[in-house]
Amino acid sequence: MQYGIYFDQNRCTGCFACVEACLDWNDIPAGPASWLRLRIVEKGKYPDLFVTFLPVACYHCLQPACVAACPVNAITKREEDGIVTVDRDACLGKDSCGLCLDACPYDAPQFGAEEEAKMQKCDLCLNRWAVGKNPVCVDSCPLWALDAGPIDELRAKYGDVRDAESFVYSEDLVPSITFKPRKDTKGLVVQKIEISPQSPIRNS
Amino acid sequence: MSLNKTEEEQIVRTICNSHCGGICEMKVHVSGGRIVRIESGDEGEMSHRMCARGRAYRQRVYAPDRVFYPLKRKGPRGAGEFTRVSWDEALETVAHEMKRVRDTYGNASILHFCSMADAHTLHHVQAFHRLLCLFGGYTAPWGTISNEGECFASGVTYGLRPREPQPWMRRTEEEYINARLIVMWSWNPVTTRQGTRASWSLACAKERGTKFISVDPRYTDSAATFADQWIPIKPGTDVAVLAAMAYVIVNEHLYDKPFIDTYTFGFDRYKDYILGLEDGIAKTPEWAESISGIPAATITDLAREYARMKPAILATGYAAGRTAFGEQFHRAIYTLEAITGNTVIWAQPAAPRALRHICRIPSPPNQVEMGVPSRWNALPYRSASVNSSARVNVNLLADAILKGKAGGYPADFRFLWLSNTNYLNQLAEVNKAIKAFQQLEFILVTEQFMSSSAKFADIVLPVCTFLERNDLYASGDGGIYGLVSKAIEPLGESKSQLQICDALAPKLGINDYNDKSDEEWVKYIVAKLSEEVEFPDYNILSNQGFYSKKFDKPTAVSNKRLEDSEQKIFPTPSGKIEIYSQIAAEMNHPLIPPIPKYIETWESSNDPLAKKYPLQLITPHFKRRAHSQFDNLPWLQELQFQAVTISTLDAESRGIQDGDMVKVFNDRGQAMVPARVTERLMPGVVSLPQGAWYTPDENGVDHGGCANMFTKNETSPAGAFVCNSALVQVEKVEK
Repeated sequence: MQYGIYFDQNRCTGCFACVEACLDWNDIPAGPASWLRLRIVEKGKYPDLFVTFLPVACYHCLQPACVAACPVNAITKREEDGIVTVDRDACLGKDSCGLCLDACPYDAPQFGAEEEAKMQKCDLCLNRWAVGKNPVCVDSCPLWALDAGPIDELRAKYGDVRDAESFVYSEDLVPSITFKPRKDTKGLVVQKIEISPQSPIRNS
Repeated sequence: MSLNKTEEEQIVRTICNSHCGGICEMKVHVSGGRIVRIESGDEGEMSHRMCARGRAYRQRVYAPDRVFYPLKRKGPRGAGEFTRVSWDEALETVAHEMKRVRDTYGNASILHFCSMADAHTLHHVQAFHRLLCLFGGYTAPWGTISNEGECFASGVTYGLRPREPQPWMRRTEEEYINARLIVMWSWNPVTTRQGTRASWSLACAKERGTKFISVDPRYTDSAATFADQWIPIKPGTDVAVLAAMAYVIVNEHLYDKPFIDTYTFGFDRYKDYILGLEDGIAKTPEWAESISGIPAATITDLAREYARMKPAILATGYAAGRTAFGEQFHRAIYTLEAITGNTVIWAQPAAPRALRHICRIPSPPNQVEMGVPSRWNALPYRSASVNSSARVNVNLLADAILKGKAGGYPADFRFLWLSNTNYLNQLAEVNKAIKAFQQLEFILVTEQFMSSSAKFADIVLPVCTFLERNDLYASGDGGIYGLVSKAIEPLGESKSQLQICDALAPKLGINDYNDKSDEEWVKYIVAKLSEEVEFPDYNILSNQGFYSKKFDKPTAVSNKRLEDSEQKIFPTPSGKIEIYSQIAAEMNHPLIPPIPKYIETWESSNDPLAKKYPLQLITPHFKRRAHSQFDNLPWLQELQFQAVTISTLDAESRGIQDGDMVKVFNDRGQAMVPARVTERLMPGVVSLPQGAWYTPDENGVDHGGCANMFTKNETSPAGAFVCNSALVQVEKVEK
């Protein structure tokens, strides 16, 4: 069984309700760590523009690069649902290690501002699945643009689309995602990409 | 459910409604007397789910900068230096000053304003109004900050108050979903919110193939998400474009003649203006192009599409109405709707809206307003009290304080009480408001936070948030009702607004202020509501928490003609939609023409002042704030930083790069903020989102990025707040 996420890019207004819901539910203080972020893409020149949004969290890859990169096996891909979790007690910390962040193309590993911060990340709200609820991001979206569940079921329901504006699908890692994408059909040039809240600063 | 399984969590259902225009379901998880997390409603796709601000509300409750205790000023006004005092000392001080001012200068010298922040029903203006009326009266404001232009336009065109508080609410979700064309005219519901249901309905419409056009100086997030076409427009020129659309519609006979004949009054007079028979200027698309910057061909296409693609919705925000002659914008919109037969009329006129008069704490009359004549610009739909010339336009309190009777105001003001508002920050011309505040003998502020306004108070009384008190949401907007239930006890020594009035009353010698608990008040109002309309029982409300009722669907009259065409369905002199307003004609004011007209705003791009200050400033809402509320919460701050947005073209000519610190200035003020350089804004325009807290340095330069440093403290002729007619310059700050 592999759990994953569905995202309808056409419905997303960039309202940040999901981001705030994640911070509140998981009790993450303001700062560099944010398990869910929004990627804001601006394309084109005035007045011919295309702007869209993409939520960036952990895509709970089939072949997670972070698990492979961790030197102390602090990151686990769970057998029963494929959700990728971290054992923060085992983590070496960002200053000494940070290899997971370097390995992940989606910046899923997150670190607080403290010295030798231990990795933290989206666990697809394991504590909500346990009581029969969706992840808090899914249940917060005022536009019903998100869904989560077994990825096979999501793909059966919404189709198997692995490409969306500003998303780079990794054939090697196989992120557990399916989209209803919104594509710029005019081939406009990217002017600006913002991540909000700001993504972690890499060691290098 | 709990992360910490050892402690049981209780879930309190309540309603989030913090002057954002939204009314959303909120489930508050409480453990050991503390809020541990917050959830949205989960009733499926009809839920009113909260936006980012509601989801971050826990941080507001526990914000370290909350005012927890009564405070007494010790430093100079505005310095923000206070001493903690007891409630008794604070209230004694307030009562002593109120009595002294009343006995020395009269009741009218006491000015009170309560806005909408965190207000609901009981802890709102009526609580203060009752107390002040029992005290012998006070000077109250009239008008709205949000949409006085629309209130006026609706009053003179339809004879009605705007049919709902938000433009969105004029129409049902079904109507949006079923529209063939939605023109979002200075309307950005994704950010201004008006309930997240607005965005949801637009997404559904989009999926059904509705065409969306955005007319706006900015490529807003609403435009980004929904619009098939963006038409950038120079701020303040909307009416010229609407007139040119009417020109095309008239010239090409695209208007709805049966509708015009049946339901409107004065179309011929408007036609004369449009065709140039009145002033010799035909309002052609070419004429409008030279004013607005929109190509004539685009205006022509827009007019044709709007007239032909029925049902079409001209969805307007208030921004274009918050310009120097803002009421003309709403008048022109109503006119274009009417001549194309796109006007919507409630089948049950304003049924949900009419409940507001019941949802209040009763009060004796305000003696200050008794026997005082109406203002020249009184509107028939308003009460004698609101129309009274004893009131001061809400947007002009600073001017009224500075000028008093000598300036034509009804009194000389000595005592100011502000509640549920950050007035100094949110009204035009901060530096003028500071001068006015410095002149007063006493300022009382009831607040949750040490806001820019609270810093000028002599006494600050701590107010709890809506999660720390009981109340009712029942004004009926969108047919939503529910109990606002206390989740936790008030933090520190904070009290609810009603409790504060209750505690102050005996010190003012008033012994009959309040004989009910909050719960009893709620039951009393629910019982009153049940007498007049079908309304859920108190027990149903308390079990369900949130109640959404479907009202009869409003109908576009073009689709469902009334049988009796002579029936006077509008309370105007003609009984019709007055394109030529007889009420406006009677006002006989040169800048309030009886038909909607384009009048060039002050500080337009043609103003000689533009040589010195070449950029038109607009001050839109910001996604992470509700006006000035929520600006201090770190969870929200990290989403977007306060910045002045400038077009790539204007940035390049000034050597400004994205993120550079810049100085924004005009003759009214200066601020230092970072610049956001973007393609998403019309060149010649800069945008500074309103609501950032004024944070001056020793030279009075603002480092918070408060937009009202630059706006002009003058209303439109009809009394609208003007925050989008200001010229500024932006310069790079060399490091």
